Amino acid sequence: MIAFLSVAPVVLVTLLIGLRGIAAMRTTSDFLVASRRVSPLLNSAAVSGEYLSAASFLGIAGLVVKDGMGALWYPVGFTAGYVAMLVLVAAPMRRSGALTVPDFAVARLASHTLRKLSAVVVLVIGGLYLVPQFRTAGLVLSAVSGSQYWVGVVIAAAAVSITLALGGMRAATYVQAFQFYLKMLLFIVPAAWLLIQVGPEVRHEAVHPVEFTHFAKDTPVDFQLDVTLELREPTTVIGRDGSRETLPPGELRATSGSTLVFAEGTAVPQARGGAAPGGPGWQRPLLDLRHAGYPLLGTWAILIATMLGTMGLPHVLVRFHTSPDGRAARRTAAITVGLLSIFYLFPGIYGTLAKVLVPQLYLAGTTDTAVVALPSQVESGGWGDVFTGLLTAGAFAAFLATSLGLLLVVSGAIAHDLLPGGLNRLRGTVFAAAAVVVMLALPSARIDAGVLVTWGFTVAASTFCPLLVLGIWWSKLTKAGALAGVTVGLLASAGAIAVTLFGGELTGWQAILVAQPAPWSVPLAFATMIGVSLFGRPPSWAAAAMLRLHLGEEQHARPGPGRDLGHLSWQARRSSAVRRITRRLGR
Amino acid sequence: MPSRRVAVTSPQTRIAHARRRVHTAWRPPALDPDDVQRAMRVYAVQRRRALLPLVLLVSLLLGIPAVLAAWPALDDVRLLGIPVSWLAMGALPYPLMVGIAAWQLRRAERAESADETA
Repeated sequence: MIAFLSVAPVVLVTLLIGLRGIAAMRTTSDFLVASRRVSPLLNSAAVSGEYLSAASFLGIAGLVVKDGMGALWYPVGFTAGYVAMLVLVAAPMRRSGALTVPDFAVARLASHTLRKLSAVVVLVIGGLYLVPQFRTAGLVLSAVSGSQYWVGVVIAAAAVSITLALGGMRAATYVQAFQFYLKMLLFIVPAAWLLIQVGPEVRHEAVHPVEFTHFAKDTPVDFQLDVTLELREPTTVIGRDGSRETLPPGELRATSGSTLVFAEGTAVPQARGGAAPGGPGWQRPLLDLRHAGYPLLGTWAILIATMLGTMGLPHVLVRFHTSPDGRAARRTAAITVGLLSIFYLFPGIYGTLAKVLVPQLYLAGTTDTAVVALPSQVESGGWGDVFTGLLTAGAFAAFLATSLGLLLVVSGAIAHDLLPGGLNRLRGTVFAAAAVVVMLALPSARIDAGVLVTWGFTVAASTFCPLLVLGIWWSKLTKAGALAGVTVGLLASAGAIAVTLFGGELTGWQAILVAQPAPWSVPLAFATMIGVSLFGRPPSWAAAAMLRLHLGEEQHARPGPGRDLGHLSWQARRSSAVRRITRRLGR
Repeated sequence: MPSRRVAVTSPQTRIAHARRRVHTAWRPPALDPDDVQRAMRVYAVQRRRALLPLVLLVSLLLGIPAVLAAWPALDDVRLLGIPVSWLAMGALPYPLMVGIAAWQLRRAERAESADETA
């Protein structure tokens, strides 16, 4: 009931705002980039609204419980990405006039092969990013309302694809901008309420964490997935009728849908190789990925992936194209840094409180639901229910906004770049793409949102980041170089992810570099792109194509007093004159 | 009787539209030589100005974890009850990044408008 009351208004308002966008939708440009008439202030709210996904709203606090305080480096990298975007990409990318990233490949390098390849990369990133959104929506809905996991996933998919197919980017812009402020409100107010309500002991324990070794009270743990726990000591569980049963040490299999109530004072069982929350490693402000013993390398790997990946995320880049010009796109990036900086101060509060109040979630492997589980721990009924509802609504808004943008670029990549078609094909593709993502999300309930999303960032960092940075700042980039670099980056990052998902166990620093390949896959992609380009020769117009990206809109030559272009001699305007001037770039 | 509006085109136009367009290699639109010189000036200035904020950003991101790894004692120093190392990770980077962003935005915009008035 709480779930329905909180999610229904969000979905309804989303649909209503989406409907507003329909009236003005006529062309592909309307659908994909809202005809480029969005002001920096509105656009930066929309960018932030789209960017603050379920992984930010729920995932970071969940990772804090599971992996330790070091998980707070994720949002730092997420924000830093926009600083890098502002410096390197925002304005020139907008000036390229391309509708999507694959379009940029055509505008800068005139390569249709690269366009198709980039569209495939968009699909890979979109998949890695969309699946955890749908998964988290399903998990949260089932945690709050007790419905089945797949019901939540299907409801989420339906809401997103209907809004998008009807309203396109114009609808998405208003929806995302509205949802940014909604999320901000729904994240900050409950945080303040929780901090006040928990009392001084919990606040003290939050900043002086102790290891979660024994249950402090009778603790029910809901298992939404099949989990194998390792009992190290005789463990007392309480049956539904209040009878106590002591289980011998050994393995305990908990099936999905079951609930175990651990008695007060019982030792906490061990869950899938992880350390219990609150231990000495947990408190360190570094991210010891996979408990490999190299926390600094792990932290750097995450920071590199998230910072450089943001620059290459197709759904973020397409948002910059909705700005009227390059200058507005740059301002959008700057304001976004500020908006995100406010939001990202709060996941840490949720994470530390969740460690104290709901550490048992790590046993069930569902720490992603920690944020929505908090209010009922502080106060059962009354305000607790209200705030659970608010946080659920916020999480659902987070999921909706991000999925809207992602589904848009995925459909754009299919129906605009791979198989060009009109507006109706775009709309149809939205539903088809959503159906495929639902199919992928159903079996991946087990993988943390934060991990999958970071892989999306890694693929973006190893493919689009070098393509954009070199395309904008290096005139000697060739078609062959770009193709080789994107291919190598895609194979390296996707290959490493496949090894992590399906391959054997690795230990030590190799485990980190395979699980988070950004530290080597990004330099490798850059090196390939530069190396192959140096062997070839860029076409004669390449320098002009690059320079065009740096020319402000207001700076284009206009006929004015004293300089009438119409009367310039043909000799001075021909392309060899341009080539002569741009030759200086090579020196 | 209300008149319906009908698009009128010459038969030649219709034939031209019906014919498949010949695909030639796509070329980016040509730049005016005058624009090229401006663009090269702006490009050189922007490239120079982009370096410092990038160096700052990267050293900030890789530096803070390195400092925290090198001095674990910071975990025990507390400010308002919160470990300093947590603050250095969860709060400190944000105002610094906002600062870099605002500073670079002004520099980049000034580079553009300076060239326009020049």
